[in-house]
Amino acid sequence: MKHYLNHLLSLLSQHPEMKYVISEKLWQTDFLRFYHSQTNYNISKDNTALEISLYKGKKSYSFNIDDPTAGKIDKALANALALIDMLPEDPDFVDIENDPTVVTQRRKANNIKDIPLSRKTDILTVIADSAAKFGFDIFGTFICNREEYHLINSNGLDKTWEVSPIYLEVKAVHNVSQITVLETFGGEDFSRFDLKAFTDGLLTKIRYAGNEVVDVEAGHYDVILAPRCIAEFVQYLSHGMSAHALDQHSSYFDGKIAEQVFPAQITIVDDPEDADLITSDYNHEGHAYKPLTLIDKGVFKAFTCGNYYAHKTGLPKNGNTASCLKIASGDKTLDEMLGSIEKGLYISSLHYMNFINPRETSLTGLTRDGTFLIENGKITKVVNNLRFTERIVNILKNITALENKSVTVPFSGNYEFFSIESSKAPHVLVREFNITSSTKTI
Amino acid sequence: MEHLIKSTLAKLSSPEITFADVRITKTDNEGIYFQNGNLRDYSSAMDSLAIGIRVLIKGCWGFSGSRDLDPAKIDRLIQQAIANARSGAQFIRNPIEFPALKASVAEYHHIPEINPFTMNKEEKVSFLGKLADTIKPQGKIVHSYVGGQFMRQEKYYINTEGSYSHTSYYNTLPIMGVIAADSGQIQSRTWPGHMSAGRAGFELFYKQQFEENTDRIIKEATDLLSAPVITEERADIIIGNGHLALQLHESVGHATEADRIFGMEISYAGKTFVKPPMLGDYQYGSEIVNIYSDSTDPRGLGYHPLDDEGVPGKRAEIIRNGILVDQQTSRHIAHMLDLEPSSNMKASFADDFPLVRMTNFCIAPGKGSLADLIAETDHGYLLDFTKTWSIDDNRNNFQFTTEIGYKIENGKITGIVKEPTYFGITKDFWNSCDRICGEEEWGYHSTFHCGKGEPGQVMQLSHGVAPARFKNINVSVKM
Repeated sequence: MKHYLNHLLSLLSQHPEMKYVISEKLWQTDFLRFYHSQTNYNISKDNTALEISLYKGKKSYSFNIDDPTAGKIDKALANALALIDMLPEDPDFVDIENDPTVVTQRRKANNIKDIPLSRKTDILTVIADSAAKFGFDIFGTFICNREEYHLINSNGLDKTWEVSPIYLEVKAVHNVSQITVLETFGGEDFSRFDLKAFTDGLLTKIRYAGNEVVDVEAGHYDVILAPRCIAEFVQYLSHGMSAHALDQHSSYFDGKIAEQVFPAQITIVDDPEDADLITSDYNHEGHAYKPLTLIDKGVFKAFTCGNYYAHKTGLPKNGNTASCLKIASGDKTLDEMLGSIEKGLYISSLHYMNFINPRETSLTGLTRDGTFLIENGKITKVVNNLRFTERIVNILKNITALENKSVTVPFSGNYEFFSIESSKAPHVLVREFNITSSTKTI
Repeated sequence: MEHLIKSTLAKLSSPEITFADVRITKTDNEGIYFQNGNLRDYSSAMDSLAIGIRVLIKGCWGFSGSRDLDPAKIDRLIQQAIANARSGAQFIRNPIEFPALKASVAEYHHIPEINPFTMNKEEKVSFLGKLADTIKPQGKIVHSYVGGQFMRQEKYYINTEGSYSHTSYYNTLPIMGVIAADSGQIQSRTWPGHMSAGRAGFELFYKQQFEENTDRIIKEATDLLSAPVITEERADIIIGNGHLALQLHESVGHATEADRIFGMEISYAGKTFVKPPMLGDYQYGSEIVNIYSDSTDPRGLGYHPLDDEGVPGKRAEIIRNGILVDQQTSRHIAHMLDLEPSSNMKASFADDFPLVRMTNFCIAPGKGSLADLIAETDHGYLLDFTKTWSIDDNRNNFQFTTEIGYKIENGKITGIVKEPTYFGITKDFWNSCDRICGEEEWGYHSTFHCGKGEPGQVMQLSHGVAPARFKNINVSVKM
């Protein structure tokens, strides 16, 4: 254990009346951003931070220390002890996390070391050269993070875990038309990356992008949602599957436990044990992070629920955070799904979604990075980016087919703290998807 | 700190390095959050140091940053930044051209009226607690919150051209909101909207009249539960300051960040419909629309004497009498566009890479009061307080929902509507602007949460706005 943690624990042992949670995070990123098939910038960053929460009865106070030392801890703790007595109580507070479960720690590769910058640029050069033959440049990011966590609390928890996510995002943009298509890889195991398959996938989309560009009118369309899209809709929906949303009266699923809310082919699991995903042994409170079925054959089964909201709402605590969502695959091939559409749309990616009314799951957003017209079972034309305004629950209710395979879809979190998460999803066919306007641009 | 930053820069004098800069920030943050009348979170992060080192080698940027300022660590960061630039230069086709700039030296220190970090803490918590108690769940109010986030940042900047600045400031983000529920639906109201931050200390709570508006948000949230929706296809709308700031932010501010023209943000934030040939010619808005970027106004969060690559603060006209005339640029991008740099390169913390960011991005005032404007409107809606926002990859198609709409008939407000939603195309929308209120209604509305870049940064920035009217806007979204 690091010297400063021993020092902190020693200080806290002098205050038996206090409860505490100490969360240590070591975070590194190695970040290559590229545009026009060349480097934009290379960034290396790191930080070691301690977050300490103190509890005295039902009073609490938290403080964060970057680059911790014994001297910084002395100063911050003295301030905290002077402050906490004067704070009002939170009557809803009961106790801190007490899950004793210790899971076998999954050792993760250090992808910052294993995928050096030279390897990244070699890979990007191959992809850039392939795209250039079709008049496309590549834009995007190639990121490796490394995160190590150590959580100690006064209820006896002493747990460590690590995460080492990789995120490669390549957008190929045509030099003249600006038509954009997207290919991504994400996970923690770079041995699963197949450069040829990745490049072939991108080139297939580039070939679609060579077709005529058209606009479509607002209206209801049969659409194929790429795995990224349905995964993102379900991520948004998962907000309403949390005890936090239930407590705020903003959950669609309020009162719907055991109710058939979606068609029987819809199953959604929060699965931190799937090696295709970016996984974590524990949640941020130190509760063991285990698989949890949220939707089983269309039936709503459970809210994700951490320590605080378990006490507040009375729901069973599971420690899940919906960070590893999986949508079960179906029994159709993508070609079969396309073949069933006389006139419709293929949507590759979504942009700037925001809830209008979270309880109703109504939101608006746009398509991005490749929207295509489907005519007589085939992708025939490129379509300008489109705006949709829909209820997510209606999208899931209108799914009539799911692809027979799923892929890992990485997402970067860019607000407050940079993080990489992932979901797993198949293509889905959705009837009557509500397009409300065209952007008139690609 | 001055010695540390100068000694770090001294280690970057090498013929291989054509330009380098170093930044150090020291940041204090404190957040207090009451939920449903109870103190849910009180947290702080004090004395957080960060350093960032940026070097230009063979036309490629390399950057390294850390929260550890130990001398041995800084030596490693220097080597890492250089290695990153060298490696990056292996994958580059058009090396960055970076014309030299005259050195500038600046010092600026902002002092708030009520320092949120040194004021009596019991007084601070008590004030917020009383507000929280006033709006805690009762009647149809099922959820409420009150909070404040306080930030103090001291920054040192130095570059190899001899520029140096030392600045410090205080920013505060006060928030308050309620959610009402009835028969399976919810409605919300906030005060004073989502752009409530300011360059100020605790006095912002008094200036923004939090105590005076608790009853209003409770009543309006409750009344919205039974309010009708807009039924017209199109209508004239007046947009209040609590929302116009975001309309300006999304459809003009981000659209005129020139790094988007060159695809530097395609992978995350997106592109822009603006293209270089439009400069000086493109009718972005009606003739009364004048929009500028102004990092010289100390009232806004975007004020700085030097930006994060040594460009002195500047007021740059972006749209003059409706015509697009300039962009928000970095030195590199300004050179590519044959423009003067606009002083818009900013990083959230020293260990972040600087990006083209809005500073104080403003619409110039017109004439008259909001009351006059309402009185001159036969039929329409006053929309205010952002609820939902969304705009496309090219900043061309937007859709917004505000928390509340006030129906205007024959120059008078006659009722409210819930979830008023409008959408449009950027150029058409700004060309439909026929009135902007005057100086007496103009003010800064600021945010702590403008996300851009990868690794992501959230920027604190301001918008100067006055209520404005837009004619014949599409207010019908069918779901």
